[in-house]
Amino acid sequence: MKPAPFEYLAPTSVGEAIAALQEFDGEAKILAGGQSLMPMLNMRLARPGLVVDLRRVADLDYIDERGGRLAIGAMTTKRTVERSAAVQTGQPLLHAATVSIGHPQIRNRGTVGGSMAQADPAAEYPAMAVALQATLKVVGPGGERTLDAEDFFVTYLTTALEPGEVLTELNVPVFDTKNGWGFSEIARRHGDFAMAGAAVTLTLDDSGCCAEPRIALFGVGATPVRPRTTEDSIRGQRPSEALCQAAGKQVSEEIDEPLSDVHASADYRRNLAGVMARRALADAMRRLGADIASTA
Amino acid sequence: MTVEIPKSIEELPTSEARWVGKRTRRKEDAALLTGRTRFIEDLVLPGMLHCAILRSPFPHARIAKLDTSEASAQAGVVAVVTGEDALRWSQPAASAPEGWGTHCIASELVRFVGEPVAAVAATSRYVAEDALERIIVDYEPLEAVGDPFAAMEAESPLVIAEKGTNVMMQRLFTWGEVDQAFADAAHVFTEKFRWNRLGANPTETFGAVCEWDPMNLELTVHGSIQAPSFFALGRAATFGLPSNKVNVKSQAHGGSFGGKGGTRGTDIACMLSRKAGGRPVKWIEDRMEYLTSGGSQAWDRHYEVSLAVAGDGQVTGLRVKLVDDQGATGEGYAAISAAKPLAAFTGPYTIPVAEYDLTLVATNKLPAFPYRGFGPPPHFFVLEQMMDIAARSLEIDPAEFRRRNFIQPDQFPFTIPSGNEYDSGNYEEVLDQALSLAGYQELRREQAEAREAGRIVGIGVASAVEPGVFDWNAYRSVGVPGIGVPEGATVSIDILGMITVRVGFSLEGQGQYTLASQLVADYFGTDIDAVRVVQLDTQSAPPSFGPGGSRLGVAITGAVLGACERIREKMCAVTAVLMQTEPDQIKLRDGKFGIPGVPEASMTVAEVAGTMLARSDLLPPGVDPRPEATHVWTAAGRTEPDEQGRAKSYLTAAQAVHVVMVEIDRDTGFVEILKYCLADDCGTRLNPMVVQGQTEGSVAQGIGAALFEEYVYDADAQPLTATFMDYLIPTINEIPPTEKAEVVTPSPFTPLGAKGCGEGAIHTTPAAVMCAVNDALAPLGTMAREVPAAPNRVWNLIRATQS
Amino acid sequence: MTALVQIQLTVNGTSHEAHVEPRTTLADFLRSQLALTGTHLGCEHGVCGICTILVDGRAVRSCLMLAVQADGSEIMTVEGLGGADGKLHPIQEAFIEEHGLQCGFCTPGFLIAIYELLKDNPSPDDAEILDVLGGQICRCTGYQSILRAVHSAAAKLGAAGA
Repeated sequence: MKPAPFEYLAPTSVGEAIAALQEFDGEAKILAGGQSLMPMLNMRLARPGLVVDLRRVADLDYIDERGGRLAIGAMTTKRTVERSAAVQTGQPLLHAATVSIGHPQIRNRGTVGGSMAQADPAAEYPAMAVALQATLKVVGPGGERTLDAEDFFVTYLTTALEPGEVLTELNVPVFDTKNGWGFSEIARRHGDFAMAGAAVTLTLDDSGCCAEPRIALFGVGATPVRPRTTEDSIRGQRPSEALCQAAGKQVSEEIDEPLSDVHASADYRRNLAGVMARRALADAMRRLGADIASTA
Repeated sequence: MTVEIPKSIEELPTSEARWVGKRTRRKEDAALLTGRTRFIEDLVLPGMLHCAILRSPFPHARIAKLDTSEASAQAGVVAVVTGEDALRWSQPAASAPEGWGTHCIASELVRFVGEPVAAVAATSRYVAEDALERIIVDYEPLEAVGDPFAAMEAESPLVIAEKGTNVMMQRLFTWGEVDQAFADAAHVFTEKFRWNRLGANPTETFGAVCEWDPMNLELTVHGSIQAPSFFALGRAATFGLPSNKVNVKSQAHGGSFGGKGGTRGTDIACMLSRKAGGRPVKWIEDRMEYLTSGGSQAWDRHYEVSLAVAGDGQVTGLRVKLVDDQGATGEGYAAISAAKPLAAFTGPYTIPVAEYDLTLVATNKLPAFPYRGFGPPPHFFVLEQMMDIAARSLEIDPAEFRRRNFIQPDQFPFTIPSGNEYDSGNYEEVLDQALSLAGYQELRREQAEAREAGRIVGIGVASAVEPGVFDWNAYRSVGVPGIGVPEGATVSIDILGMITVRVGFSLEGQGQYTLASQLVADYFGTDIDAVRVVQLDTQSAPPSFGPGGSRLGVAITGAVLGACERIREKMCAVTAVLMQTEPDQIKLRDGKFGIPGVPEASMTVAEVAGTMLARSDLLPPGVDPRPEATHVWTAAGRTEPDEQGRAKSYLTAAQAVHVVMVEIDRDTGFVEILKYCLADDCGTRLNPMVVQGQTEGSVAQGIGAALFEEYVYDADAQPLTATFMDYLIPTINEIPPTEKAEVVTPSPFTPLGAKGCGEGAIHTTPAAVMCAVNDALAPLGTMAREVPAAPNRVWNLIRATQS
Repeated sequence: MTALVQIQLTVNGTSHEAHVEPRTTLADFLRSQLALTGTHLGCEHGVCGICTILVDGRAVRSCLMLAVQADGSEIMTVEGLGGADGKLHPIQEAFIEEHGLQCGFCTPGFLIAIYELLKDNPSPDDAEILDVLGGQICRCTGYQSILRAVHSAAAKLGAAGA
């Protein structure tokens, strides 16, 4: 398990990185924290001609509060995110998703941008980003553009990044007490990729009914999956345990056939997706003051 | 000269043992903790090359074309070997049953995914892996068989065509009037069970550095090898070398648990060394190779079990039918794992008659290897589930049901129907300790309350016997010859009284160098740090097998104490001359030779040794002047198996009771262990700290077996678990703390009364966890018959009760 | 063969300059080029944690880093933890006392992960310890003795620092 040969470049600017990506025309791979790419290199499942290491690119490691949102540089490690007071207080769903990733030894290297660009459907970050209506800043030969998270994840391990483009920033809203959220996942072992998980955001309208429910499921499809029928059926309803139960059931029913692997059959995943959605939704409601049993 | 080895710690020549039987820090640890212990991957020899192996992606295929020319031409490549070299230079692997081995590299057919088809020796592993990509192989895929029942059908493809069948062995053992017992029984319970493939996965994979001496036709193998002398014999057979021309030097290694494997890779590296003109060739198996192609997989079993029970709850008969999927060949000696249950077939119970219908089947899966426990853990899983099924049906508490069937203390030594003799035990005491530790009655009340609240909570109470000190005679029925497993040690005292112990095995984790030092220090009254333990290679060591089958603690105790006794006799003879008395008047006590009651007649061990080596003028003529002796210990009283495989085989029988409480998440099928208590009796605990460590580690492996670990193949025999993301070794988050109680019933047959205990808790843990799972599921009207009780499986069971 | 890249890094307090192939993993570099063989490889795909070392104060998998990525870094391996002067680090002492190792192959990774944990959090509770140790696989001990060793090491370090 040793990598095949490749050329290596550690540019100091995004522009330099873009130029290198263009030069290698699809044969180059960006190396951020390496926690996904390195196993693929070791197994020779990834065979880039050039590895472009972003570690020396200035100003990609930051967490800034700007206009009610958090802007997080792509090379910010998950450990930095998890320890950031701004994240802990301002974006608890991001924090919950972060500490669910692997182990501290992985989070010490793994980066925000790396997880987004890897687009593993069983990973926490893509679903978190979709639930939070995050935006992603991308810089390419043609300049800079901003993508909604929902449009960023195209299919299994594939994003809307064009060849030559570099993801530079994740941007998420800051929450206050009016924002309910829940994050629930289930893996065979603590720290493993989830068999299924759900990230939920929710607010209440003036009458105390659910407004803007967003559910993003992971581990069940090729990208984060939003069960829109379930979201619709929650909207306008008063928070309750029964509503969570019904929503969980509906999630299981409405999602497309999930993948099947050695740990979870499609049927089982379908069930887990519903259970995780139910639990995350119940947590979100509880955070908004609803009286819902912790067993829900 | 007959050597009397002390049967208890009290018999050691010391007023009070300072080390033996005491929690003793390991002398192995400092080097390990500072990264100084040299493992095989750390070994670098001059001119050394690195091997990488190209493996078949097909479970069954014909090799239509193999072209290595581009690889050979690549810069940095020194040698390439293929199946042609294997045919030319080597014999098919030795196997159990005999005749089911193949060559280390396939030449015409591949029979499992991961079978080697070619290999390269190059200047680095990176370069060697580059070269593998330049080897062209055209395969013509053939129909594969991955299911042992399909493999027994007439139309099945044959794994090894020359054998004419996929049935490697079929045998019915009958011990007593089994038909009668079942005809007479008030109740007969029958169930089917499935134990899926799992295995050792030591944190260090296998590795070797091989040196072929082309001038003298000698072979040297350095490796992470559990049983060096056995390994050396295997290489001699493979290469047609005289057995004294193979020298194996085992490195300290990162665990083994029976599943180190490595024979194929070693043989390939040997051939590469030969082709490279004798340059050393290093082969380090990587984790994916280990998982898919190494000594990683064991115990792929389909059971059908019947229990005959009398109206009063006495179990009167046991029938076990086992179809064991051995994979493509018998090279891993996995057959012994199917034979070993004979050593403890009826567990801790007085079941008077039994039957074992054993079928070993070849399929196109990785050849199976041994794993910690070597076979009984699945056997006890099924036996203990049957005990619970019977208890549940008869409405007897499972703890009480076991109590009624336990062998009683006054029945030892107790011969079980399958022929082995248990040395000693007090099973009810162990049960009582475990129940008391767990607060069993209170746990049952908690369970009742939890059930009232709609939770799925269960309690398992299981007991098993751990056969200790393995003997080859236990495996006669699967074609392995021999009776007795000699283990030797040489103890030498130098001219200044410093003591060195020389042994034939390497460090593996069980603290035996510390144990040897404890024994010598207490025997000769020295400090433990003054004793040095040195490992010898197979060309220098006394007969030795090494760790395996819960034997080495007992065996090395016998060997070291035997050597000490021999030295003592020699030194007494010398001292007697110096003190002008008869040797039998001289006693060794607390490090001094002297005459009891005569305080001035006293010499230290160093003084006597110094005299022997430096004052020949004082020695009587003809005396052996070496304060040194070798003793080779082997278990006494082992017998040749009869026509039904019955023999006195394993010398000791440790026993344990585990009490486990679990909760199952109705929504997800996840099993959570809420409480884990155990009591065990392994006789005298020579280093209680080490015994505790073996127990805790073995519980973890047992929990892995019960809930997590499984090698999965698809219907076409393709492995689906090739990484540590798929094959799930439990982490600290999955292993609960255990509460433990000890009972000590010394063995009457062993040095110091110790019993084999290294394999330990894995005999009981899977059974206990599964008993708890099934106790939880019982009110739902379902039962887990398959191990591991993975969440998907348990969820399926629960869901089936709801539809 | 691709062009070698020059790197400079500090390992256990010693500065090194070296030329490496870009594809060389940091683990292989430390083991082969610097002969620091105390860092062991268990899976080479980032699951087992056995190759864990400290890079710029953070515990990371050395199989999931290229040596070239460590250019300019400060690294500590098990060889830097203690023992050079014959004196063990309190974490190592605790491992001996609590029997926190058997075969010892995974131990260097555990030691480094625990070192980082206690550096940041001198008296962690069980949950905090489990979060870190969940990233390290041991096949021998069943982990309970390691957990005891972490608590014991924390107490030793606390006493030494007090």
